[in-house]
Parts: sequence; structure tokens; C-alpha cells
Amino acid sequence: MRRQTMKRRTFLTAAGVSLLLPRLESLGQVNESASPRRLLTIVNHLSFYQPELIPEEDGSWDDAPALLNEFSDHFGQLKIFSGLNNPAVQNGFGHTPCVGILSGYFNKLHRKNRLSIDQAIADMIGDETRFKSLVFQAGENLNFSQISWDKYGLPVHQIDSPRKIFNLLFQVNEDDRMQQQVLAEDRSILDAVLSQARSMEKRLNATDRAKMDEYLTSVREVEQIVNRRAHWANRSKPDVNYELDDFNRKSVDEYVGTLLDLAVLALETDSTRAVTVQIPFWEGFKEPELSGNYHDLSHHGQKPEKIKSLLMLEHAILKRISGSLKTMKERQVGNSSLFDQTTTLLTASMGSANSHNFDDLPALVFDSRMKNAGHRREKDVPMSNLYLGLLQLFGAENEHFGESTGAFEVLS
Amino acid sequence: MMRPLWIVLLLGMFLNANVRAEPVLEQFFAQNCIECHGSQEQNGEVRLDMPLSTFIDDEDLLETIANVLEAGEMPPEEAPQPKSQAVAEVLQILQKRLLKTRPANPLKRLTRDEYTNTIRDLFGTEFDFNGLLPPDHTEHGFDKFGEAHLMSPHQVMAYLKTARFIADRVLPDSKPVKNTWEFDVRHFHGSKNFATGGGGDYRDEDEYVLTGFRPYRSNLHISIDPEAHDQFTIPAFGEYQIDMKARSDESNESEIIGINLGDGRHPTSFETIRRIPMPHGSKGFSTRLTLKAGDQLAFTFDSARVPGRSLAKNPPKGPTLRFSHLKVTGPLTPQWPTAAMKTILPRPDMKPAELVDHLALLLTKRPLAAKDRESFVKIAESQATSGASMTATARSVLIALLTSPHFIYKSESPELSDIERAHRLSYFLWNSVPDAKLLAAASSGVLGRDPAAEVERMLEDSRVDRFIDNFTRQWLQLDKVDDFGPDVRVFKNVRRMTVDSMAREGQELFRHLLENELSMEHFIDSDFVMANDRLARFYGLPKIEGGDFVPVKLPARSERGGLVAQAGFLKLTSTDFATSPIHRGSWILKNLYNERIEPPADVLINEPDIRGTTTIREAILKHQQLESCSRCHSKIDPLGFALEYYDPVGRKRKEYRHIEELPAKLEGTTFQKKLKFTTVPIDASMTLPNGMEVHDLPTLKAALLADKEKIFKGIIGKLVSYAHGRDVTRADRLHIDAIFSSIAQEDFSLRAAIHAIVAHPEFGRK
Repeated sequence: MRRQTMKRRTFLTAAGVSLLLPRLESLGQVNESASPRRLLTIVNHLSFYQPELIPEEDGSWDDAPALLNEFSDHFGQLKIFSGLNNPAVQNGFGHTPCVGILSGYFNKLHRKNRLSIDQAIADMIGDETRFKSLVFQAGENLNFSQISWDKYGLPVHQIDSPRKIFNLLFQVNEDDRMQQQVLAEDRSILDAVLSQARSMEKRLNATDRAKMDEYLTSVREVEQIVNRRAHWANRSKPDVNYELDDFNRKSVDEYVGTLLDLAVLALETDSTRAVTVQIPFWEGFKEPELSGNYHDLSHHGQKPEKIKSLLMLEHAILKRISGSLKTMKERQVGNSSLFDQTTTLLTASMGSANSHNFDDLPALVFDSRMKNAGHRREKDVPMSNLYLGLLQLFGAENEHFGESTGAFEVLS
Repeated sequence: MMRPLWIVLLLGMFLNANVRAEPVLEQFFAQNCIECHGSQEQNGEVRLDMPLSTFIDDEDLLETIANVLEAGEMPPEEAPQPKSQAVAEVLQILQKRLLKTRPANPLKRLTRDEYTNTIRDLFGTEFDFNGLLPPDHTEHGFDKFGEAHLMSPHQVMAYLKTARFIADRVLPDSKPVKNTWEFDVRHFHGSKNFATGGGGDYRDEDEYVLTGFRPYRSNLHISIDPEAHDQFTIPAFGEYQIDMKARSDESNESEIIGINLGDGRHPTSFETIRRIPMPHGSKGFSTRLTLKAGDQLAFTFDSARVPGRSLAKNPPKGPTLRFSHLKVTGPLTPQWPTAAMKTILPRPDMKPAELVDHLALLLTKRPLAAKDRESFVKIAESQATSGASMTATARSVLIALLTSPHFIYKSESPELSDIERAHRLSYFLWNSVPDAKLLAAASSGVLGRDPAAEVERMLEDSRVDRFIDNFTRQWLQLDKVDDFGPDVRVFKNVRRMTVDSMAREGQELFRHLLENELSMEHFIDSDFVMANDRLARFYGLPKIEGGDFVPVKLPARSERGGLVAQAGFLKLTSTDFATSPIHRGSWILKNLYNERIEPPADVLINEPDIRGTTTIREAILKHQQLESCSRCHSKIDPLGFALEYYDPVGRKRKEYRHIEELPAKLEGTTFQKKLKFTTVPIDASMTLPNGMEVHDLPTLKAALLADKEKIFKGIIGKLVSYAHGRDVTRADRLHIDAIFSSIAQEDFSLRAAIHAIVAHPEFGRK
């Protein structure tokens, strides 16, 4: 049994796919001297009131607009891009086009090329942690709020319940014993089908053998996934000093804030290295002093009193994000701060939710290695160029992502 | 697709012989082709001045060359023409070569539909694996082709998960406990209005009222607690009895209720699992559904007249549907142990090897090779030694076998064995595993010698519905009928059930021709249409009662009849508010002529947009002037333009409605953009490459009838593709021609075509 596993590993390495194998022995420990790279992606579905977010001048700014000023603690590590467009969100009515915001290309009929940037990066940095990535969202998952897509074009589960997230990260699962049994059974089943496939393969002609090879390779990859699950099911989850209180789902401050707290905890405990937080509107955020809910206010019709109320919500969201960045600066993991290890991308699914305008998108990138902070104004440049730049920042050698026409130098 | 290295090597060995044998080709290309396909120009990215050995193995290229030469499309009219004798000689060489290169027909796995039907037939349970198994890719329109059957870790994971789902349910440890739930208006809720947070539709005394046909805006769902809005969810897998008291109001005809799975509280995606007709005066309905744990039921008024819901303060004028009481009972277990349990475990004392052999044979009707069974026996043995129950042991073996290539793949020998032939026939006509009679006919050798009796029996069996549904859905792309719009702002009167009926018309025509041994000519034109109540009303035909499709004789002056006059086809080839002549023309070429045309890979297709211009004709005609486009577009465009007198939902029109989205004013919110309508005249006349002029639907049908031999062969080709699970190319020409000639005496009956396809020797080859 043991010898067989060894052989398989040798085979895979020889075939140049050794990356598929997580280095099990090193899983789950952050080396004191290592500083793994992490990604935090935040998407605000209803966008921001851009006149209050985007500085008038290119490069550095003198007076930050009010919304942007929420990030004054992080100006040195912030680059803000404006005027980007995204071909992935150009067609369709209502809110549906927003599903492609992180993909840079999206075709509802074809699953190819739907991969979203958070998952593309998670595929590169997610091998050594309990979860390859975690995707949270404030509000229920609806057909247009799905933004995270894996390399097979399938939706990545977006968890809307902070309780579920907390249990996933830190609670001992009562079904764990059950799960161990199932995983053990899975392993013996995969062994069996693998040996049947090998035996059957010998009787096939060359074309069919190529088909059977696809099956064999896939089964071996599933074995790795199952092994990884079994590995983590055997290990205890991290202890944290965090009480998950009851909170008001209708409060931006409490709901978004709780999710962001959990995002920071997930990164800090090295449970995952890629977290995505989607803030849709469906829960209809209501604050005591506001009349009308978030979606209603986003269609402000340029009425000053509605914009004023809308801005209160947007300030609350950005203040919480800024607060989380600050927390990340204070938390030490290994020999650097969590912020030092994390690239944070904040963007929106629309340019303006008032007119359902899908171009003129803003994107904010926070990174401690930022050489030239400031504002970069673009016009008709695809968002994919930023995504490709991020991908390369994480060490990818890709030359394309989505509909990219080039790559942004994100840091310089 | 990557081809294994050895094929390339092998072909290389034969190469020299070919080059010596065929200098004729090189000479012909040099004399007639290389001016436009040579070192100077490479029109259509084709280059024929290279040594023959560099492209003689490119089957697709050879096939294209043969096709354009035969149709006289190349060299183009204005160029000097080769002697017809020279063309004939070249064609003969190409044809000979292509005949040797019949597509390889690689190993196929079960499609999701095949898998589902197979499991249903084996265990007698109405499983639905949507959401468990991923949908299949299609190649040249069908999901049955081995080359399209990609395998991925995700797919294997899905097989494993689905197998466990099945095993846990067909082999439960104990009898499921039956429950009954009763609900009345206090538990009934409508969809939530996301703008105000209020409820959709309304309660009227002890009835809950639905008014609109859009499921997201108008549906009824149920909570256990009258105060809470939490949905009632099905606790365990099984069959459930549903008894609903309901009535229609302000209606004088039969109405249709939809039963859907999904969370009715929010506008998320629904899956309609059943439609129940409620005759006029009905007091409700009862039905049985197979549901799984976590399923949530929601009811919709699918035949409603208005799209959206209504509120109590502003009740609608037209028909409403009123629900007063619902009873849900289940899971039902009519006998214990269940029939499936007895099938899987006929005796409680089976030995591990015996159990494996029995299950392997049960699942695929094929024994498991001796070398293949050891690993499964090992699972059974280790379960048995660890003290697991016989049921638990059988579950493990079942999961393993359902995930294994033995079940997933349909392996075929170069010359099909009798059992393999039974499988091919069964997955062709039933989309499922063969039954005992078919297997008996196969093993006695009758099926190979004279399949007519078995084919007749299979066509009379209700399982043939799966072939009719599955084949027509893929061939005619009927699942795309509801893909786009119609934009409710433009087509105010097109209702949900009318669109649903449109999507069924092509399928019903196919069924009618098959059942009544009628000629395939009816696909091109006929003096009747298949219609139900709603479609007859939509077409302006005499009134019909009920939702079932019946043949309706057309008035003498009607232009309807035939696939190209069906509203479903006209709608699926249009967008929300514009027709697309190119889409319609290419649909006809691809699906009736079975021609292989693909959109040019390097061209960004910007469909000319009639909203912004009055010169759609000129815009499209540009295609025909560009040489690289004209080869296909001179065929596509006239076919499509002739249909311009039919609007995006398939109604006759006299002129274009020019629709303009008005720019939004800055102060207003622009969620609903305002539309402006103007009219523009239609000019539909154009000339086909063969010189026939087409200018409307009747002249188009006349042109198609003139081409009926090609179209019959095209349809036969589609059926052969579906049956064999591979592409039909020029290499199949003799095969298709033989089928065509053999049914000439039977007036090209569709039923005869199916008999001939199964009787042809090719049906017995991989």
C-alpha cells in the first residue's frame, strides 16, 4: 500500500504535475521566518458614490474626497485605479451582469474562462492550508451575487452565515468521526476504481486509452483531495480568543464588520491564504437613522437627500474595511505583520448603481510593498489588466487573464 | 484536441506512399488554387502551395476542399474554371482518401441524461441528479460524442458523491418514517418585495391569491410556523403525496399550475419540476413527487395573463389562482423491503465475490472481467471482516461500481458484440440500459441479423419518449427557445405558457411523424401543424381544448407548416427584441442540411443592430462582398432574410419596428430605460447560390423542397450522429446514401429511416 503511494508520487513528479501534491508534512504551520503571501478581495455590489471616492488629480492628492479619506491611515500603501471597464459585465439587465466582476470575461453559456481572479490566485497559494480559499458574503446567495468561480467554471460556495464560518474555522465538527469513516471508504473506493481502470485500459485501443488516461489522472487528483481532507480532519482547529455575538443582519456595521473580523481571523490563523468578501445588497441594510434601504438609496436619482443617506452607509462600510486593515497591521504572524503579508483588493460590481452603469469601475489595492501610492486614472482599459498585474505579483507567469490587453505594474 | 504521438508516427509511415500516388492533387492545386491560397494570399487561412505531405492528413481541410469543389463554390465565379473532368478526378481521389478516415469514435461515457434514466430503470426510483452531476458538453450539437466527454477531478468527485447519494437511498438501514403535514392560508406566503420588504401577491380571507406568471415575482411557498417566514423543507429523500385545494377565478378555461423547487422567498433560480393542468371548475389536484432532503416547494400560476404579481390594494382584473389547503405526506414506502433492495440483495448470505458479480451484471448487463473484480471483492471482504451489515457492505460495493469505468463508460469493440449492439440500440431509442427482452434478442443473434421486430417493440414502448425529447431538444435546440426575452416592454402579450408550447412544437411534430409513419418532408412543409390550445390561439387557428398537442389542418392561405415556420425556431434564433437573419440562416444549414459551419474564429461578430440603423441589409450584404466571408454567407443570408417577415417571437409582421432605448436623464434612475418605436420597411428578397430567388416564407420553403434530397440526407446524418455518438463526415457518404435509397419506397418515412439506420451494417461497428 505504502509503496504504491510512493510510486504514484514519483509518476506525477515525472509528469511535471508535482504541484498537485500538497506537501502534507509542512501543512498547517507558519514557519517563523516565512512570510507567505495572502490575498483579501472585497467587492461591494452596489458600488460607491464615485464623486466622493475618486480624487480629481492623477498621482498624489491634496485633499482626499470624503469617502477615500476613510483610508487616511493607509494612504502610503494604497493605489486607487479609476475608469476601468470590464467586458464581463457589459450585457444583460438588472444586476445579473455582476457575476463576472472578478472574472474579466464571462459567458453564461460557456464555462470556459469564467475563472475569477481570487480563485486564480488561490490556486497558486492555497495548497498548504486547511482551506484553499474562503468566500463570504453579507446576505443570501442569489443568482447574481455569485462572483467567485473556480477553474472549471463552477461557482465556489459563498457562505453567508458568520456562525457557519466560525464553526468551519474553529469549532470541532460533531460529524468528524462520520467524516473520517466516509473519507476512509472513499479512499478504498478510489483504489478499487483505479485498479479496474488500469486493468480495463489494457484492453482498449489507443484512442480509447487516451480517454481512460483522462479518467485515471482525474481519479488520482481526487485521491489527493481526499487525502488532504483526511489530513485536516485529523488535525485540531486553531484556538482563537473571539466571541461570535449575535448581531443585527440589517446593520452594515455589524454584518459586514463580523464578516471582515472572520476574514482577518482566517488569514491570521493561516486557515487559508485567500479570502473573498462579497457585499451584496439583498438583506436591505437598514440603519436606525435612515429611511429606505441600501438598494433603494443606491437608485438615488441625483437627489441630494438620498445621496446623503447613501453616503452614510458607504462611509460605514469603508470605515469597517479601513479598521480591518488597521487590525491586520497590528497582528504579527511569523516575523511580519498580517498586513505586510496581504495584498488587499477592493472593487465594485458597477460604476454606478444609480444608472446600472457597468463601466467606469473603481479598484483600490493595498499592499505594504507599494512603491508609488496614489491615483491612476484610466479610460476604457479592461479591469483584467489589473487582475493580470495582481496574478503576476503573486508570481504567475500568465500573459493573459480574461480580456486583458496588458498587465498593470501594481506596485510601481 | 491533442492526438497521441503514436498516431502521428503511424501516419508518417504511410505518408510517402500517398504522396507518390497523388501528384494529381498537387498539380490541380497549383493550377487552380494557389493564386488565392498560396504564398501571396492565404484567403480563409488556407494555403495549398505547400508540399502535399504537409496537409494530406488534415481531414477537415480535405473535406472542405472536397465540399467546395463539388458545390462549384471554388474556384470563385470570376476566376478561370478547371475542366469538369479534372474536378471529378480530384474529387474521386479526395473521396477515396476521406473514406479511409472515418472518425475514430472514441470511448464514450454516460451522459447525465443516460445516467439518470439508467438508474431510474434499474432501481425504479425517480432520481433527479441535477445539481449533483455536472451538465455535459456538446460537440456539433450533441452531448453523445465521446470526443466531447471530458473527464476532470470535478467530474469524478461528482460521480463519487452521486453514487453515495444513490446507495444511501436505495439501501437504507431502516424503513423511512412517514409523516403528514397540513397547511392552510396562515402558512402560505408570497415572494418578498425587495424594494419595500412587503409580501408579494396577497391573502384574501382563507385563500392565497396568485396573479402573475413570472415565478420570481409571483409564487406561493409554505412555512411551518404561521408567524415565521422560514420555508418548509422536505426532511428526507423519498416519494411524497401532494394534495392541494385550489381554484381559478375569473377564468373560463383550463389553467396550469407549476410545482417548483427552490427558495420562493427570494428571486433566485427556480426549477420547475412538474406542470399540472387544472381543468375549468377543478377543485384542486393531487400528485406524487420524488423529493430529496432540503427541497423546498413553491407553486406558480404558469398560465397567468400578466407577468408580475399584484397586491391586495390593487387586485388584478383578469384570472387569478386561489390556494386554500395543502397536505404533504411521505416519504411513502409501499412495500418493505423495497423492490430495489430485493434486486440489489436477492439473498442475505451472498459471498463477497458473488455480490460483486451480481451487482456488476445488474448495473451494466455485462459481466465484470475476472481481473477487474479483485479490487471490488476486496472492499466487500474488508467490510465483512470489520463486522459491517450486509446492507452496508452492499452499499460500499455499489458506490465503488457506480464510480468505476465499468459503469461510467460504454466501451465498444471494433465490431460490436451482440451485447454492445443492444447497448447502442437501447441508448439510441430509450436513452437507457437495455431490458431483458432486448438482451435476449441480442444474445440469440436475432438483433444482429434482423433488428426490425425489436426496433418496432422499442418504438412502441413509452421509453421512446426519452429519445424524442432528447434528440429533438438537441437537434432543434429547443431548450434555447426561452433563452432570450421576449422583452416584456416590447412583446406585452407573449405569455409564459405560450413560449413553453412553442418549445414543444418541434418535438411534437417529430413524435407525430414517427408514430404515424409520415414522410420527413413534413419537416420542410406540411398542410398541418401540431398545436395545443395556446399555440392554436397564437397562430390564429380554430380553437382547441387542452394542453395536449394534436394535428391541426391549416387554412389554404396559411404560411405555417414545417420546422422553419414554427414560432419556436423563429424565436430561438432571435434576441430579446430583434431578429437575426444570420442566426436563422445558419440554423437551417446546420440542422436541416447538416452542414458544418462555424463562426469565423478570428472575427469578432458584431451582429448588425436594427435598433440603430435602417441599413441592416447593406450591413449584412457586406459579408458577401468579402471573399473570406462570402463562401458561407452567400448561402446563409438568403435563407435568413426570407424569414424577415416574422418577428422575434414568430409572429407575422409587415415592417420592422425600430426600437430605440432613450438615453437616461441624469436626474432619473434608469433601471427601466424608456423605449421609442418607429417603423422601417422590410426587404427580404435575395438569390440563393443555385440561382433560386427567395423573398418570403413560401418561396423559402419552395427552395428547401427543391433541395429535399440533401435535407433528408442531412436529417438522416443527424440521427446517425446521435445513434453512433460521433460526427458524420464525407466518409459516411455511402452509408447515408444507402439509408436514403432504402427508404425511398416508403416515402422517406421517419420511422423507416430509424429502421434503416439500425439495420445498416455500420450500426454494428464502433
